[in-house]
Amino acid sequence: MIKVSNISHFYGAEQVLFDLSFEIKSGEFLFLSGESGSGKSTLLSILSTLLKPSNGELLIDGESVEKIKNIDYFRQSKIGFVFQFHYLINYLNIYENIALAALEDKKQNIDKILGELGILELAARYPNEISGGQRQRVALARALVNEPKIIFADEPTGSLDSKNSQIVYGLLAEAVKNGTTVVVASHDMQIENYATHTIRLKDGQIL
Amino acid sequence: MISLKALSKNPFKSLLIFSSITIAVMAIFLISSVSQGVIGMYSKMIKTDGDIIITQKGISDTFFSNVDIALIQKIDALQDVASSYAMIVGASPIGHIPIAGIYGTTQNHMSHYKLIKGKYPKAGEVILGANLAKQFATIGVNIGNKRFRISGVFSSDIGFEEGGVVMNIEDAGELFNRSTSFILVTSASPNATEYIVKKIAELSDEVEVKTTQNFVKEYNQFKIIENSSLVISTLAFAMGLMGIASVMSMIVNSRKEEFGIMRALGKSRLFIIKNLFFETLIMSISAYLFALILSLGILAMLPHIEMLQGYVNGTLSLSTALYVFASTIFMALFGSLIPAWIASKTDPILLINQGCA
Repeated sequence: MIKVSNISHFYGAEQVLFDLSFEIKSGEFLFLSGESGSGKSTLLSILSTLLKPSNGELLIDGESVEKIKNIDYFRQSKIGFVFQFHYLINYLNIYENIALAALEDKKQNIDKILGELGILELAARYPNEISGGQRQRVALARALVNEPKIIFADEPTGSLDSKNSQIVYGLLAEAVKNGTTVVVASHDMQIENYATHTIRLKDGQIL
Repeated sequence: MISLKALSKNPFKSLLIFSSITIAVMAIFLISSVSQGVIGMYSKMIKTDGDIIITQKGISDTFFSNVDIALIQKIDALQDVASSYAMIVGASPIGHIPIAGIYGTTQNHMSHYKLIKGKYPKAGEVILGANLAKQFATIGVNIGNKRFRISGVFSSDIGFEEGGVVMNIEDAGELFNRSTSFILVTSASPNATEYIVKKIAELSDEVEVKTTQNFVKEYNQFKIIENSSLVISTLAFAMGLMGIASVMSMIVNSRKEEFGIMRALGKSRLFIIKNLFFETLIMSISAYLFALILSLGILAMLPHIEMLQGYVNGTLSLSTALYVFASTIFMALFGSLIPAWIASKTDPILLINQGCA
């Protein structure tokens, strides 16, 4: 599904990832763990095509990301992303936030997903009118709307209480059961209970 | 749709851009219109009452021109000349008014000034333009060292005249120490104009003879006003452009996180640029219309402001309106596309992180 070959990354002169190579198989729930500054968020950004690596090659579904002609469509159709701070657009309501991410033929999924996540009644509200836990569920709905092959989540429960964290992990585990590959970068060791594999990072290297 | 939502959900930022565009557009409108108005008033004054103008040779301004009034008799004797008159134009303090236009003219031109009160002036008398007359409740006014009796009040479509004084050419000649500033000639037929120009030029080496059309086109003062207006309008335009570009740049910087999220969701660079462009375009067009209405309002008020005595008039031509519209669209394009293009080229996660910073 995802093949990482000799990936390194620099921010200016500072190297944050060192020659990483590994594979993620389809349907895995991968937990990227590590301390702050270990490079897990940078690696997740590279895996999800949001950041170009300084060196190395990334293959997704056998395609080299570097050579993909329409990276925007690739990202929209194959990848879902959940950020720590949900990052909803504040001037769009919940329905519009999800519709913004949805492909034309997937817009019919919006109500269904909102219903499954228990937030259908929030559809007309704006992000600042709902709670943090509800916002993260909206972010998850946005990541799921195009039925992506892979979901990347960066500290998805970082701003949530324990109860809401369990809900989010449960929803990600449900996606894995449906055949989606999930990669989560987090400090929270509870994820190990859901993950099928774990990669531990320290100072930009795999332990 | 997204553009409209973004605008309505960020009212302060929207207002900031809207105001900067409105002020820039109004500055261009008013500067261009007022200079066009000044030129329009003076050229109308010259063009409506004659086909040919005779001024002193080598003098760039009619205010300094001195032509021998005796020439008028020789001109009247030429074939195809329908009429001619002489005029002295000058400016002087009048009573408590620091400066006003003074027009000394021959009797055959007096009827050009439409009397609304009293009668045309004889020696030692003046008629006042309706705007200037509002400032005087007296029966006489001091002009230079002499006191003139006010014999009447006239109205005119030309703001300069409305705020000025008309007197006999002999009185004006004494006041400004000249024979006449210029002579205006009307030809019996339009086909004869060029012939008359040639004949008058043969009468004296000390004068310059032109059709009024050519005179207006070549008049140095108009060129100076037009060029000054062009320079000031260009500066106003450049300042407006820089203002909009810097505001847009601030807006783009403050919205990096949003653009990063959109890119992360798979939205293309074009999608972001298009939305930002439409946001600016919506504001630019609405600011343009608002500025147009405000400018028209101000221009309509100008002739009625007593302090200005009708001297400042604005003429807003269709070509100016279209030029300013095109400039506004250019401002929108320049101001929004460059920062949007720079932002759209950045990796999405860097945009998000920069937005958070």
